[in-house]
Amino acid sequence: MSLEELGEVAYQIRRLSLEMITYSRWGHPGGSLSLADILAVLYFQAMSVDPERPDWEQRDRLVCSKAHGAPALYAALALRGFFPIDEVYSYCELGGRLEGHVHRGKLPGIESSGGPLGIGLSVAAGMALGLRFKELPRPRVFCVLGDGESNEGNVWEAAMAAAHYHLDNLIAVIDYNKVMAKGFTWDLMGVEPFADKWRSFGWDVLEVDGHSLTGLIDAFHQLRWVIPRGAPLALIAHTVKGKGVDQAEFNYKWHTHAPDPETADQMLRTLARAYGRPEQGYSRLGMEHSKETFYGGE
Amino acid sequence: MAANEQPTPLEMREAFGRALVDLGRREPRIRVLDADLCTSTKASLFRDQFPARFVQLGIAEQNLFGLAAGLALEGFIPFPCTFASFAARRGLDQLAISICYAGLNVKVPGSYPGLPTSRAGASHNCIEDLAVMRALPNMRVADPGDNDDLVAIMQAAVETPGPVYFRVTRLTLPPLPSTASSFEWGKGRIVRPGRDVTLYGTGMMTSLCLRAAEELASESVEAEVVHLASVKPIDRELIVESASRTGCGVTAENGTILGGFGSAVVEVLAELHPVPVRRIGVQDRWVESGGIDELFTHHQMQPGDIAQAARAVMRMKGKRS
Repeated sequence: MSLEELGEVAYQIRRLSLEMITYSRWGHPGGSLSLADILAVLYFQAMSVDPERPDWEQRDRLVCSKAHGAPALYAALALRGFFPIDEVYSYCELGGRLEGHVHRGKLPGIESSGGPLGIGLSVAAGMALGLRFKELPRPRVFCVLGDGESNEGNVWEAAMAAAHYHLDNLIAVIDYNKVMAKGFTWDLMGVEPFADKWRSFGWDVLEVDGHSLTGLIDAFHQLRWVIPRGAPLALIAHTVKGKGVDQAEFNYKWHTHAPDPETADQMLRTLARAYGRPEQGYSRLGMEHSKETFYGGE
Repeated sequence: MAANEQPTPLEMREAFGRALVDLGRREPRIRVLDADLCTSTKASLFRDQFPARFVQLGIAEQNLFGLAAGLALEGFIPFPCTFASFAARRGLDQLAISICYAGLNVKVPGSYPGLPTSRAGASHNCIEDLAVMRALPNMRVADPGDNDDLVAIMQAAVETPGPVYFRVTRLTLPPLPSTASSFEWGKGRIVRPGRDVTLYGTGMMTSLCLRAAEELASESVEAEVVHLASVKPIDRELIVESASRTGCGVTAENGTILGGFGSAVVEVLAELHPVPVRRIGVQDRWVESGGIDELFTHHQMQPGDIAQAARAVMRMKGKRS
């Protein structure tokens, strides 16, 4: 896929994330926008997946430990062909397949269930170990983590075990967007020196600009083909929470906050301008919602 | 050993370790995960037999359950082995969300449940595991009354897709009277028939119910003892059927009376066939260090206490009629 096409995917992940959060009136825009480029490169370039065979044994797996980034993941999966794109508007709807936080079993392409932060890396390590038991050398397990999430002790239990068992088929991709639910990471609970923490746990670490498509492509190439194997891999992707929508960038107020339709319309126009795309607002502006009350709070 | 002598039963954890090995022989997908307790839980027997299928994870129970979820996602049948306290407390979020919510095929033994844990005290005397596990959707819960029960539960657990929690009591339990039926999910069995009062037991407490029934028999009270190893799903039909004959009941569990087995029985009776009931178990307090027998006396969970409760509910029944 060309860089232009990948850029379009990342743009559409951002658009759809905002659309579904606005329409459902719930969700986490900031952490979805920061993830968009990472997921675009993963699902359209780095990972081997087959939407026709979501359970294909040779696929690369992805565990979304920051499970509130679900809108971005749903958007990426829909764009990749795992389910119809229009289904994203059923996000958080009772009876739908798109749960507020990722949940396996209903929607093709979702590998695990999550929501409480810090639990996904253990699941991913278990899958990586399971692949070893099955003697499947090709598939890899990617685990998308947040930086704030790394306050959780379970992350480091998993990190210790993954290194102990030399799970070099495990790749933690950290969306280091510097902002947690209620403020900046360094104000609430500092994670630095972050790369050193992972290294000291026995991981190989690479850092990258998480919004540079070429940077991400190169990083995933290095992780696969260049870095000597034998240890689990951490890719620390430096990102901007709310990336692409200036009012949401680095702004914790957009961690959990559904924009009202008019605000979403403005945000999507801003996003289109930032990406040099034709101006396009909120596609469902003025359409009635099935929801009785607006929940825009934190 | 004389021909008429019964062999001494194994300690239940020993029976657990042997059953794991036996299942491991027959089911290649089984993996046993440990958090540095294997010689206590007796998961070590599996380690010795199948070292390549045994995963040591150190003292990290959150990772123990999370990693089990990942193995289950790859088609394995993991047994993450730890004490009941650490399953119901330390690793509960991972057990609930990564395993149970996700509906994964993980079998969780809770070792050292309730009062018999040597002298460790409240931190290790898990009294709430039945209540906690029972409240999780998708979860099946069982508390074996003897070693045969345990083996049958483990076999059923492996044959049943989805998450299972079962207890492994740190005691040597006498075998329950053999009946035609063995363990089945949602099925209880009458281990002693009677007509005056029903003693509903689960796990090790069924043995104490049988001893209480002996005591009551000397007073010409015929107590029926119903053993319900399957705590969830629970045998609603048998609970009601017995109560409709006896008209009153006592529940007995090796744990808190709040939310666990006694609550489950009482919920069924309250909805379908209200009769006077008393619950024997830990009465909403933390367990102290002490000798096992001492603790059962201290918490009024001895056969005499069960018999006493039976007399009380029979009086209540008499007043109502």
